[in-house]
Amino acid sequence: MTDERISQAEREEAASFAERAKAAAAAAGSAAAGRAAGEPPTLFDVQEMELNFGPQHPSTHGVLRIVLRVDGEKILEAKPDIGYLHRGTEKLFETETYPMGIPHTDRMDYVAAATNNHAFCLTIEKLLGVEIPRRAQLIRVMLDELQRLSSHLVWLGTSGLDLGAVTPFWYAFREREQILDFFEEYCGARLTLNCMRIGGLPFDLTPGWTARLLEFVDDLPSRIDDYEQLLTDNRIWKKRTVGIGVISAEECIEYGLTGPILRGSGVEWDLRRAQPYECYEELDFAIPTRQNGDTYDRYIVRVQEMRQSVRILRQCLDRLEEGEIRGKVPRVIKPPAQEVYASIESPKGELGFYCVSNGSNRPYRMHCRPPSFINLQALPRLAKGHLISDLVALIGTIDIVLGEVDR
Amino acid sequence: MKVLTPTVLTYLKVVILVATVPAIVGFVIVLAERRFMGFMQGRLGPNRVGPKGTLQGLADLLKLVTKEDITPAKAEKAVHFLSPVLAVIPALTALAVIPFGPPIKIGRVSTPLWVADINIGLLFILAITSIGVYGIILGGWSSNNKYSLLGGLRSAAQLVSYEVPMGLALVSVLLMTRSLSMVEIVQRQQATHLWFVFPGLLAFFLYFVSGVAETNRNPFDLPEAESELVSGFNTEYSGVKFAFFFLGEYTGMIIISCVAVTVFFGGWLPPFPNVPALDFLSIVPPFAWFLLKVGFFIFCYIWFRTTFPRYRFDQLMALGWKWMIPISLANILIVALAILWTPGRTDGLVRLSWIFGGLFVLLFLLAKLRQKLARRDRLAAEPTSAQTVRG
Amino acid sequence: MALKRWLDKLALLDLFDGLGVTGRHFFKKKVTIQYPEQKKVPSDRFRGMFRLDEERCIKCTLCAIECPINIIYIDFHNEKNSQGKSVKVLDRFDVDLKRCMFCQLCEEACPTVPKSIWLTTKTYEMAAYDRNESLYLDIRKLVDWQAAPNVKPFTVIEQG
Repeated sequence: MTDERISQAEREEAASFAERAKAAAAAAGSAAAGRAAGEPPTLFDVQEMELNFGPQHPSTHGVLRIVLRVDGEKILEAKPDIGYLHRGTEKLFETETYPMGIPHTDRMDYVAAATNNHAFCLTIEKLLGVEIPRRAQLIRVMLDELQRLSSHLVWLGTSGLDLGAVTPFWYAFREREQILDFFEEYCGARLTLNCMRIGGLPFDLTPGWTARLLEFVDDLPSRIDDYEQLLTDNRIWKKRTVGIGVISAEECIEYGLTGPILRGSGVEWDLRRAQPYECYEELDFAIPTRQNGDTYDRYIVRVQEMRQSVRILRQCLDRLEEGEIRGKVPRVIKPPAQEVYASIESPKGELGFYCVSNGSNRPYRMHCRPPSFINLQALPRLAKGHLISDLVALIGTIDIVLGEVDR
Repeated sequence: MKVLTPTVLTYLKVVILVATVPAIVGFVIVLAERRFMGFMQGRLGPNRVGPKGTLQGLADLLKLVTKEDITPAKAEKAVHFLSPVLAVIPALTALAVIPFGPPIKIGRVSTPLWVADINIGLLFILAITSIGVYGIILGGWSSNNKYSLLGGLRSAAQLVSYEVPMGLALVSVLLMTRSLSMVEIVQRQQATHLWFVFPGLLAFFLYFVSGVAETNRNPFDLPEAESELVSGFNTEYSGVKFAFFFLGEYTGMIIISCVAVTVFFGGWLPPFPNVPALDFLSIVPPFAWFLLKVGFFIFCYIWFRTTFPRYRFDQLMALGWKWMIPISLANILIVALAILWTPGRTDGLVRLSWIFGGLFVLLFLLAKLRQKLARRDRLAAEPTSAQTVRG
Repeated sequence: MALKRWLDKLALLDLFDGLGVTGRHFFKKKVTIQYPEQKKVPSDRFRGMFRLDEERCIKCTLCAIECPINIIYIDFHNEKNSQGKSVKVLDRFDVDLKRCMFCQLCEEACPTVPKSIWLTTKTYEMAAYDRNESLYLDIRKLVDWQAAPNVKPFTVIEQG
């Protein structure tokens, strides 16, 4: 598209916007009794307002723009406008070889980077038919669950902060700092981890890592109790979250929502149980599910998931045994020409990669199914009829990370 | 000294109040809030600027004073200029009737530690702090910003609504004190050997919660919360004007705490003032007792802010109108009945204190016990993988 | 059961519990590390500022090929050394620090033992006031950080 055509399209859109605004104003103006036609409408006449929520806003968890149509304070329509963080990740995958794509996946869901790496590596391993040694599987599961804890801690902190509870944020990040320290010790980075390779892992665990992780994991349930004491039974928290953003199970499935949203509405679907990967089949953990599908239920689901992650971590630590950390992978990765889709249960939902290879060492197409992008679809449906003050709670409860939404 | 007539002393006290209270707000309360919030959140607050951060208030003040003063283009300039003033002056004026301590003697000069003791002191405070609402409404309106206007109107609605339960809670205390003069309220608490918080436990809760709502503090701070669509009426204010709004809010906090201490907690009296065995407590001068108690309430403000999420605006208004006003009306009835129980003596009030206190302690202990038992039951039934965790 | 919940609500138990949590934390030990007087020591595998050893480098350009963002620019030419063998001589080994994401793929690709380019230097303080001068490192600055004043070394671990 040349510049002229782009600006022409923009101009057309701006013109239609202005026309619609004028029409609305005229309609509102003519509806007001006893005023001369042609006068601009006053604040008392305008019934509907179209507002911009973001992209610069403290509560949108990234650069998300929501175009709101409100009547007073009631939301009539909320349209997310995304793309502010688009970096062309999927195109970058096509221009680079398979192993070079792993650092790019870190930056998609930057709060839970290991799960992104994991999904990417699983897809390519499925393409190649590589088997992952058991020790690598256990460590991968441990990293995933640590990442799940980390992501849910961020969610808890920022959700509380949006609704006015400033303290859980600090407590949650204090725990998260310890998790990031574990990652730093293991792979050298705290946030953009690059901690998995095709076929397994880049490094083995450092000595003492497992002992320290066990200490941390034993300490964590009492910290989660602290957060719960601050929020779960608190009447103000309940008032802000119970009954807000109710979505039924059928609608969830229709929209294709996954993750805690689905489980909060009563559908017991978790990929770790339904389509087990790595060594989840032999691990013993529960799938928290609640029935009402409102924000409070999703909060409870995520907090319970944190507790279940602790269980999984303990079991993995028990079963850890010596072994290889990387399967047999050819030096230059040239998968045969085929298509494959592999997905995992990331903290936000089902994270999958769909890869089309053409026999060369670069993918022909690598498409990511980001859970936040799909879950964000539900925002207009959830926000209808609620107040603007609830919108922040809803964005928090869907738990989006813009890096994933926009890629 | 001849020149230190009572009039001159009054003016001197006014000058001291107006000079020290904003300084205390800026230096002590702001720093205390940030440090204590930090401590409760597991971190240190600001501790770089002076030793342990004591000069942080000065840094904030210098920053605010040297900021560019922005007035929006189409704003009403005069009103925009005056509304911060309108927010701060009533708060400072209300300090005039607060008794900080009994009369003291310095050399040959004896002067009471209050600026004025008018016989409608409590009513004066309520009336003057209501004028502060004008500052907020005009501040929101004069910014030529529809979101500021809405924020200002919401804030004003909240303030006006919560004045009713505040007033009604104080009415129930008036039944006990039989006087609106702040000094006489303290003296009556000394005479009856009873801090009015005990028979007025419910009144105290109502008063303090309304007070938190009056000053737009968490959990009632939706009109000025940062994560909402607007920052409320003070969006368009910067520099000294913002400093004035800020000062007005924190001085309001001090006023509410001072009134709570005076009316409910015995003002400048040490605990158990008439018990000879505890006379050593009067080593601490009465003025210091007053400050200690006010400091505790300011700490409670900070504590509430750190702990609770915030109410949505309609829930806030519903709480005020549907819950607090009926309860405060019922409270007036209960206190009146307690007084009539033993007319002419205060035994009825003492019995009421025991009833209230006992009821509350009992309820609390029962609830705690139930919670412990429920926790024990829940831990015993840890879910295994075969079941899902159904809440 | 409903009565018991009602009891909690009346006794304001949830609010007091919350106040109790923050009140308890008031007296606990604080976790703040006061930077810059106290600094956390990065782990041994920490991916920090990279460093080059020119003698070990065999100019295979594998690092440049592996870099996902193509910020390593290598130029070399062939020369006859004193024994008459043809050796590669580095003309240019530039790394654009502005865009580096510290993914360590260059270090992984390096075939020499010990590695010729390595990131495990525990150094993360490399902020600069200007973008292009200080954040584009040529070979002089990569080999010896003295020439790059904005890089403040923590400890330099010789890759072994």
